[in-house]
Amino acid sequence: MADVDAARRELDAALGSRSVLSDPLALRLYARDASMVEGGCALVALPTTTEQIQACVRIAAAHGLPIVPRGSGTGLAGAATPIGDSLVVSTARMSRVVEVRPEDRLAWVEPGLPNLDLANHLRPTGWTYAPDPSSQQTSSIGGNVNTNAGGPHCLAYGVTSAHVLAVDVVMADGSLERFGAEGPEAPGYDLRGVVVGSEGTLGLVARVCVRILPMPPAVRTMLFGFDSVEACAATVSDLIARGVVPAAVEMMDQGIVRAAESFAHAGYPTDAAALLIVEVDGTEAGVAAQAREVEAAARENDASSERVANDEAERALLWKGRKSAFGAVAQIAPHYHLHDCVVPRTKLVEVLRGVYAIAERHGLIVTNVFHAGDGNLHPLFSFDRTVPGTLERVLQASDEVVRLCVDAGGSLTGEHGIGLEKRDFMPLVFSAQDLAAQACVRSAFDPHGRMNPRKVLPDGARCGDFAVAATGSGDAAADARDLPEGSWI
Amino acid sequence: MDLIHPRTPADVAEALRDSSASGRRVLVVGGRRHLDKGNPAEVDAELWTTQLDQVIAYEPAEMLAVVQAGMRVGALAELLAENGQEWPADAPADATVGGVLASGSSSARRLKVGALRDTVTEMMLVTGDGRIVKTGARTVKNVTGYDLHRLLTGSLGTLGVITQVALKVRPWPESRRTLVVPGGLDLATALAAEVPLAGGVLATPGGIEVLLEGWAGEVDELEGAVSALAPDAAPLDGAPFPRAPWWTWPGDGTIVEAAVSPSRVAAVVDGSGAFAALAGVGLAWVATSAEELGALRARVAAAGGIAPAVRGAGGLGEGPVPGHEVHRRLKASFDPAGILAPGRGWHR
Repeated sequence: MADVDAARRELDAALGSRSVLSDPLALRLYARDASMVEGGCALVALPTTTEQIQACVRIAAAHGLPIVPRGSGTGLAGAATPIGDSLVVSTARMSRVVEVRPEDRLAWVEPGLPNLDLANHLRPTGWTYAPDPSSQQTSSIGGNVNTNAGGPHCLAYGVTSAHVLAVDVVMADGSLERFGAEGPEAPGYDLRGVVVGSEGTLGLVARVCVRILPMPPAVRTMLFGFDSVEACAATVSDLIARGVVPAAVEMMDQGIVRAAESFAHAGYPTDAAALLIVEVDGTEAGVAAQAREVEAAARENDASSERVANDEAERALLWKGRKSAFGAVAQIAPHYHLHDCVVPRTKLVEVLRGVYAIAERHGLIVTNVFHAGDGNLHPLFSFDRTVPGTLERVLQASDEVVRLCVDAGGSLTGEHGIGLEKRDFMPLVFSAQDLAAQACVRSAFDPHGRMNPRKVLPDGARCGDFAVAATGSGDAAADARDLPEGSWI
Repeated sequence: MDLIHPRTPADVAEALRDSSASGRRVLVVGGRRHLDKGNPAEVDAELWTTQLDQVIAYEPAEMLAVVQAGMRVGALAELLAENGQEWPADAPADATVGGVLASGSSSARRLKVGALRDTVTEMMLVTGDGRIVKTGARTVKNVTGYDLHRLLTGSLGTLGVITQVALKVRPWPESRRTLVVPGGLDLATALAAEVPLAGGVLATPGGIEVLLEGWAGEVDELEGAVSALAPDAAPLDGAPFPRAPWWTWPGDGTIVEAAVSPSRVAAVVDGSGAFAALAGVGLAWVATSAEELGALRARVAAAGGIAPAVRGAGGLGEGPVPGHEVHRRLKASFDPAGILAPGRGWHR
């Protein structure tokens, strides 16, 4: 049984009472992330040092409080939504760039540092941090590590995991370990590799060593409009067949283009059925060669309009429309549910058609913006949850979209994570045995289940079932679609 | 010594179940190219993956190839080349895909293509007690559950047998050129820093090799950038990079693969007669001897790195392995009978 009062007293002593919150308003604010799931918590701690994080973990363990790590709370899957008498540990007050070492191509940062702040800090040095999730103004590096965040530029540069050299992790028993190394290889199993993307369930990331890259000497951003989504998607396949791996390939359908345009005034062609933003980078000659191939692919597919950003201001404007798209949809309806799934690139059109059909069947407005180069879709349902029955229809439609993507050979999530919202879909893509193996990874890090319990894996998945699961009993699927007690949508 | 020749993942599972039951200790073997890496392990059987060599799925437009782990790197390269693509392993042609991954090998082009482990998006594996497990997905991006394939990559066959992987592949560059530059590590470091998007900069006692790859005009442009720093740079058409990879070095003495932060490479190779150091990356292959190995490892450790032997005697080296308890529990979960190459891994 959790002893919240004792934990509060000890946290006050370790962190100072102003770094520990338990008033009803604070608890309400921290009861959810940017997902649809709401929970509740007993205490919120705002540590400022690694030692304070360790103290939080030890105190919570001693008094039976589960720990829910939190960065900026922009997660869309509910990984930072607390449940029950938990202690939320927010790294928001740990947001320093500790050091930048271009000679070693690395930077050490604290986990609460917003992604864009790192990019801005590096810019004058001529170096850059490649992952750039659309939430980058707010989302933290620690959160990015935990969701293995992507972003438009991970087509050419890879997702967060490829840019994290090492992590300092406060383990479930309060000890501190450094996984990975400043150099290219580290001894032992790649524990760094499993901590990245683990959604706060293996430990609490206290410091991150990121790989930095020299900024490419040249970059060109192009915008093409198409009369059909088929032609737009075909262009993506064709430019890859031509040997081009652009820095980014983003596709937007008409609905999202119109919303983004009236918000950002980026000069998007609102009459086009679909729009493609392609960015290539490299040396001057490399950019010219890639742009030539990209333009040829677009023209072969009868692009109805074509625009090239001539300077940094125009480039920023083209991206502003894309990156503000999710904010812009507020014009359509007061609420939205943003999806994230990945399909083979060659199945994009087929899946998009399916998404439209699902929306129509449920009488919902859907708009689409996605990382087309990665096959990463973000269908977005706009709705008003105060209208009775609407939320249920949205959830039903979301359920169907997930199944559609999996049936097309895809995956449950490309960059947002599993959290609470998708954990009960895990049996769609993994066998009971696969899930038991994953549960073993979790218990190897956290044998007592203290770190962010009930997230990522469905309740039925247990390491101890590994041998039992070999017989093929599908227990993990039994409780599908039930949110844990204490959380609700 | 028993020899096990599975033809299917189910064969692997059956063999390992039996081995776990009887306590038969097993070494997983692919192309025998990376067997020297790892601490000595005494085993009763070898499990050869080389008949697990099928292409499962390859769609060039997806830039993903799904192959069985016993496929030879050279055979995969031929398949991909037919479609103008490559998997940048830079390993011996007769090494297997699974061996390259399980041994945690690095590409000589790491400066540009990154770590090979980042090319794995999906894996099928068989645990020590014979359970078939899938992890990841056949998509270039995925954050669905824990990336078990990260643990298996570099695990030296101590957690399970890799039977199948989905690999991210890349287009073959339009142009590729090696430049040979007289000079040492300082110049190599300057080149890695100043030449944008170099494919690799390798310092050796005999001079520097710079790999340039990309679009034709881009390579010409980059050659100009090299010449600006090193006027004596000479193009060498058709040369592989490196010209002499470590596995072709004469003799059979110990070679270590040292990994330190890039600025510390000099501390590792100073005084060595035969080495190849990747500037900007922090990897250096260094030829050494039984007498010199200890001193070399002490220098590497002082620089914060590691220096496992990749050829000859020497094992992985001493030194702390973070997360000891996590290692122990993972091993106990995935290989409960402890039959997979006991002692070979980093954990004790």
